[in-house]
Amino acid sequence: MKRVFIFIVFILGCGLALQAQSVFITGSVKDTITQAPVENVQLINISTGEGTVSNVEGHFSLKVKSGWPVRLLVKHLSYESKRITLTAGQSKDVVVYVAPKITSLDEVNVISSFENDKPYRTEAISSRTIEKTSVSDIGNLLRREPNVSGVRKGAAGVDPVVRGFKYAQLNVQLDGGTKIEGGCPNRMDPVLAHVDINDVENMSVYKGPFALKYGPNLGGVINVTTYSPVFYDKFENHIEAFAGGQTNHTGFKSSFGVNGGNKTVAYYLKGNYKQYGDYKSGDGSVISSSLEQYNTGGKLAFRPVEGHTITVGFDRSWGRNVDFPALPMDERKDDTRICNISYFATKPGKNINYIRFKAYNAHVEHEMDNKNRPFSDTLVAISKITANNLGGKFGINLNVLKGRLETGVDYEQIAKDGDRNKYLILQPNLPQVTEGLWNDASITNMGVFAEWQRSFTSFDLIAALRYDYNTANSDTLFRRKMNGQVVYENTNTSSTFNNVGFSAGITWHFNENNSLLFSLGRGVRSPDMTERFIILLPVSYDPYDYIGNPQLKPEINYEADLGYRFERKKAGSLNVSVFFSYVKNYILGELVPPSEVPPQTRGVLGVKRFMNIPDARLTGFELSYLSPSRYNWLVRFNAAYTYGVNPEAVQYVRENGQVVGEEIIENDPLNEIPPFEANLSLGYSFFNKKLMPEIYLRMVAAQNKVSAANYEQTTPGFITIDFILTYRYNEFLNIYAGITNLTNANYYEHLNRRIIGSKSPLLEPGRMFYLNMSFKL
Amino acid sequence: MKRIAAVIILLTGIISACNKPASKEVIYRTTGAVSAYNLQYLDGQNILVKTEVVPQSKEDVWEYDFEAEEGDIVYVNGKYNDINSGLKIQVLIDGKIYKQASSEGDTVNYLVVSGTIPYE
Repeated sequence: MKRVFIFIVFILGCGLALQAQSVFITGSVKDTITQAPVENVQLINISTGEGTVSNVEGHFSLKVKSGWPVRLLVKHLSYESKRITLTAGQSKDVVVYVAPKITSLDEVNVISSFENDKPYRTEAISSRTIEKTSVSDIGNLLRREPNVSGVRKGAAGVDPVVRGFKYAQLNVQLDGGTKIEGGCPNRMDPVLAHVDINDVENMSVYKGPFALKYGPNLGGVINVTTYSPVFYDKFENHIEAFAGGQTNHTGFKSSFGVNGGNKTVAYYLKGNYKQYGDYKSGDGSVISSSLEQYNTGGKLAFRPVEGHTITVGFDRSWGRNVDFPALPMDERKDDTRICNISYFATKPGKNINYIRFKAYNAHVEHEMDNKNRPFSDTLVAISKITANNLGGKFGINLNVLKGRLETGVDYEQIAKDGDRNKYLILQPNLPQVTEGLWNDASITNMGVFAEWQRSFTSFDLIAALRYDYNTANSDTLFRRKMNGQVVYENTNTSSTFNNVGFSAGITWHFNENNSLLFSLGRGVRSPDMTERFIILLPVSYDPYDYIGNPQLKPEINYEADLGYRFERKKAGSLNVSVFFSYVKNYILGELVPPSEVPPQTRGVLGVKRFMNIPDARLTGFELSYLSPSRYNWLVRFNAAYTYGVNPEAVQYVRENGQVVGEEIIENDPLNEIPPFEANLSLGYSFFNKKLMPEIYLRMVAAQNKVSAANYEQTTPGFITIDFILTYRYNEFLNIYAGITNLTNANYYEHLNRRIIGSKSPLLEPGRMFYLNMSFKL
Repeated sequence: MKRIAAVIILLTGIISACNKPASKEVIYRTTGAVSAYNLQYLDGQNILVKTEVVPQSKEDVWEYDFEAEEGDIVYVNGKYNDINSGLKIQVLIDGKIYKQASSEGDTVNYLVVSGTIPYE
């Protein structure tokens, strides 16, 4: 903590030294191609959030109270956003050139709270939201968005759930295409656990099966955009630093980075470190939740010719001793290496808006054990898994039928292998047994996609089509007892699928302020590694060993979304959306007779095999309101609800820890669906938006609609209050202080798993004070 | 550029320092036997070693020490064959007794002391 304190004093000192007077910056905005003035371009001072808009002649004037240099974000709906830096002396007759925009979902960079340009529901989270929170886990942060929840099993790696869709039902990726396959069969390291929250520039959640250019999509896409190099007119270098400390879950997160470049070369290098101890819940219970994670990474971009950019990136991250009290093991080591190369060409031909190419490799080495568990006194279990995801994407955007057509191909190959070694340390000769968790399993997916969109006078249309060829294979799935007796064997491990998805949507702007949105879609996803190839492990919500089923059929989601949007500069924006989803071949576990496969894990009730049920239904809504940014006051309100049902669920009747029969339950709620939730942010800006206190109120209803078939337990409702104070000291330094769970409420989320070895739920942290500082020069 | 290089070197140094696991000194110690006894222990290379120890007196001490890391398995088992003998096994980590067991003149002439080096 001493070092953190010294660092904080250092950056405070830097900030004091750099405070300066206010000046006016004047200039004009021009189109790079036509040289014509551009109206309605937003120019925002990145440090303070203050901005202005260019007039009909392209002229603008911006009062800047901070000192030099001034970093501006330049935005326009029809032009590419860019960042420019003005140094002392560049305050008059500044000419800003903007390039016509080429719409690309992958390059989304939104700073508002939700996006409006799709006919389906989209959420966006900005870097500023990330900076001001105490949260250190991306999945945990996403839980604040409407109808986005998360399965929590320990200190990190909250696994997102969007509208009741989870795990492989969601397509989670980085920078519009990079995918990561976690190592743990129990998903202690889902995709987002391999990314440091301080590396995130923004995140977008595209709900529903509509965004098909990102890859196979059943229930939604989560795209995390990490920081990228920025080209400058003249060579510049910048540094950035972040430090945040907190009480309770005592620890800190920190980062340091350098970036810069000129017109031809740009770079971004960054390192992050975080360390946390256990935390206390509202009732004073100590929850094992310590962790240590760090990473370093960088991107190098070349622009040899205007309009052509090649970027090479790498990231290496480490996780050490991460506690997972709701899983049978803790993460001991996680080493992840991600490397990628991308190429982007702007306007390479008359009717070609852009071409892009991307290739990546994400390699995860994951080790976990039970050494901190009481059971390790007799049996020490160590699992080591290697997971690799190799992939790429090529896309071209063309002018077709007076609209824009983006079409391309993508490829993904997942390979996974790993064993669990068990040491019986109280026995003579130290008996040791090795069990395969995955036996050289692989899944390959090749896709072709096309998305066409066109704007008419009063409505916008979008239509997408996708085809995937999916094939999977594994060595024989088997498990032997220590005496060599085979308890499970499956040699039929290959499968191939041809999946077709499509979607169409319309946004009808029936006047300047009101729009109606409607989307229909069919999303298909093939079964994942766990569902196909897992060998006798308790990987799900219920206490059963699971075996994979290589012959599972893909899940198909038919979904309809209806939305209404109201936007007015003086009144803010209101978004309402309702959805109905009909999922065919929904994947669940089905009991296997013990005579066929006996359970192998202590305490489980039996063995389940992943199977397709005929169908499941999900329905729900989201409602959001955001006040206009022009006022000093801030009001943000969200409410959301999802309800899922299994029309014909099988309940396995238990007696004395044994399954003694089964019953059919009609219209049983799907398990692990979050309850109704509403949250409200209220804030007011003082001193020309330099200081902003904010109250964040979160109200979560009890979840009583639980799966009887799965013996799911109800969860009580709760209310939490957070207080956040944002202080923009100057353009370089932002300070955030806050108290989370102000009333020290004792609560847990419905999706939190139970602590292993007890019936206690994994409680959330009690009251916590925190302080974050962000410095950018 | 020099400053950037310095920062990169500093970052690399910090990351390397983070990567280093804590090292522990482990000692297996046996005593209390008056006649030959058999030992099995996990050595510093994680290999199970079998040996026979022939003490001259009850006070004779047999020791084996090695460097290990947090989380490593420590394991010693011993069996004395003479009903009039006995055995005491201790596992010490950084000079402190982590686990121990003893038996003397018992029909159960077999002892195991094992565990994993705790994480701090």
